[in-house]
Amino acid sequence: MEAVVAVLLGLPMTLLVAAAAFAIGLVSGIPLLLGLRSRHRAVRVIVRFVIDLIRAVPPIVWLFVLFFGVSFGALRFNALAAAIIGLGVISAAYLAEIYRGGFATLPAGQTEAARALGLGRRSTFVRVLAPQAVRTALPSIATFLLALVKDSSIASTIGVTDMVFAANTFVRQNPMTAGLTPFFVAAAVYVVISIPLAIVARRLDARLRRSA
Amino acid sequence: MPQLITEANELATAGVTISHLSKSFGTNLVLDDISMTVAAGSVTALIGPSGSGKSTLLRCVNLLEQPDRGTVTVGTTTIEAGTRVSDRSLLALRRQVGMVFQSFNLFPHMTVLRNVAYPQEKILGRSRAEAEERALTLLERVGLRDKAQQHPGRCSGGQQQRIAIVRALALNPRAMLFDEPTSALDPEVGVEVLAVMRELAESGMTMIVVTHEMQFARDVSDHLVVMADGRIIEEGDPRAIMAAPTEERTRRFLSAVLER
Amino acid sequence: MDLSMYLPRLLDGLGVSLQLTALSIVFGYAIGLVFALGVSSVHRGLRWPALVVVEIGRGIPALVVLYIVYYGLPAVGVLFSNFWSAAAGLTFTVAAYSSEMIRAGIQSVPRGQGEAAAALGLSRLPTFARVILPQGLRSSIPALMGLAIQSFQGTSLAYSISVNELMSQAYQVSSLTFAYLTVYAITGLIYAAIAVPATWVSVWVEHRLARGHS
Repeated sequence: MEAVVAVLLGLPMTLLVAAAAFAIGLVSGIPLLLGLRSRHRAVRVIVRFVIDLIRAVPPIVWLFVLFFGVSFGALRFNALAAAIIGLGVISAAYLAEIYRGGFATLPAGQTEAARALGLGRRSTFVRVLAPQAVRTALPSIATFLLALVKDSSIASTIGVTDMVFAANTFVRQNPMTAGLTPFFVAAAVYVVISIPLAIVARRLDARLRRSA
Repeated sequence: MPQLITEANELATAGVTISHLSKSFGTNLVLDDISMTVAAGSVTALIGPSGSGKSTLLRCVNLLEQPDRGTVTVGTTTIEAGTRVSDRSLLALRRQVGMVFQSFNLFPHMTVLRNVAYPQEKILGRSRAEAEERALTLLERVGLRDKAQQHPGRCSGGQQQRIAIVRALALNPRAMLFDEPTSALDPEVGVEVLAVMRELAESGMTMIVVTHEMQFARDVSDHLVVMADGRIIEEGDPRAIMAAPTEERTRRFLSAVLER
Repeated sequence: MDLSMYLPRLLDGLGVSLQLTALSIVFGYAIGLVFALGVSSVHRGLRWPALVVVEIGRGIPALVVLYIVYYGLPAVGVLFSNFWSAAAGLTFTVAAYSSEMIRAGIQSVPRGQGEAAAALGLSRLPTFARVILPQGLRSSIPALMGLAIQSFQGTSLAYSISVNELMSQAYQVSSLTFAYLTVYAITGLIYAAIAVPATWVSVWVEHRLARGHS
């Protein structure tokens, strides 16, 4: 049906926004995590404040700030850039928290043993603590990705041509005949996308529980 | 009996000297002006009731705890409390002293072989081949070579502790610290670990062992130190003290422990 | 600065946002509890429908739910006002998410509790209602508090269906004044001014709960 095609045309954009924001978040979350674990109290406090601020403001507001509010002289972000950067920054904040959680559950004995052996701070962090922390954090990271795919729909409010935008456009162009269909199609696609991710998340979680 | 330390070109083991060590946790004085000498190649057993400060004292030797006052000397390296210890000095000290923990603390995400080999590669600069060969040799000597490719989680507590000992030994420490190595193990299993420690002692390693295993303390150690309330209340020959303790506190502790 | 003229408008919007939040939490948690019980039920006839509804509710973006309620329902003859469409949509989403949290809380109650109750001779219903459920709900409180804060942020999506909450007001004010950055920045700060203290409160509550319990 027309509605199905119209909505599916927005799918690549949905996936692009989610994937790009996720990639930005995965990488940018690392310096934030290091800041949270810094030896200097001032750094820890500032990073904590930044993360809390980013997470406290709704995503749609961030997107609007970046799209409407930010300009470099005559240049502005286009909708796609604003959406990816905005969601990317938000992802970095959430992922940094998830990373932190992974480290928080590590037994203190691991750090002690590594230090007692004479391993330096960097080796201890990179070769002993981080691999274990990542393993613990994987289920939460998978769950977060699921949420991010859904949140990418917010990009439609600033004009990114994703599935929700496509559904809206279709409804406006066919007010009499469209009905609920375009949105049901979009909803169905979101659910279908989330199924494999949810299965992966559950498996990771089960594997984590078993090895504990 | 095969020796656990046989390489002729290894450094001689070092003595440990603790001088006027004090430490408080908040308002709680845990170590009260402790002084103790452990001769190179000798085994000192540290016993006493819980809360006496034995573990804290042990952990001050490799600076997992920072003492408030006093000095710690391992071989020719001396660290003074209160002065800011550089990371380099800290690492240098820790690389001379091996430690075995009550909860083993093997790295769960590495195989047994990697657990023993990686620290050698990183700290001694050995090549991977060298490190793994040494690891396998040591694992063989404690009878655990067949566990090399498994992860620690698949090994029993006694096996994990023996692997932990090997992991520390592979770095050629000049002294070894044991923090209640068998307390988390069933008695039958603890025996395997104590046997390895005994062998190590006979090879001439300097050892300081915090333990509740009185038989080990009496039969294997050269020097017994009894602690209570943050102080050394009695020290000397293990057999002599256990047969006839001079202090009342020691007497009470020993009778309670030996009764079990 | 003439922006101060518009601050009252923004605060009016905030009031609407808070109303939406309150409604979605109160009704959402209640319905979520029902869903959680359904999902945990032994009767397949209850379990499967509940599971499907919850997974759909968690799988669909909140924005899409809002559009479906707003655009879609008039097509089938159900006419809600903007505000009530938003309230209904947000309630549904909150119900789906809270049901998972409550279910997890119930599952986390140690088996020994049920066994002890059975050993005492308590039958199934009072065991569940008086022993398991209260402890399960208590465990879910931290997650539910986090959800409440997220639901407050979620009200910003009601902008897309023309509800006069904070985000809509911000859009209108910025269109009037062209002071886009300032207006949206202030809006963000207003959200943060509520969300950040709320997070502190929830962390404090979480600590208090943990202390009295282990």
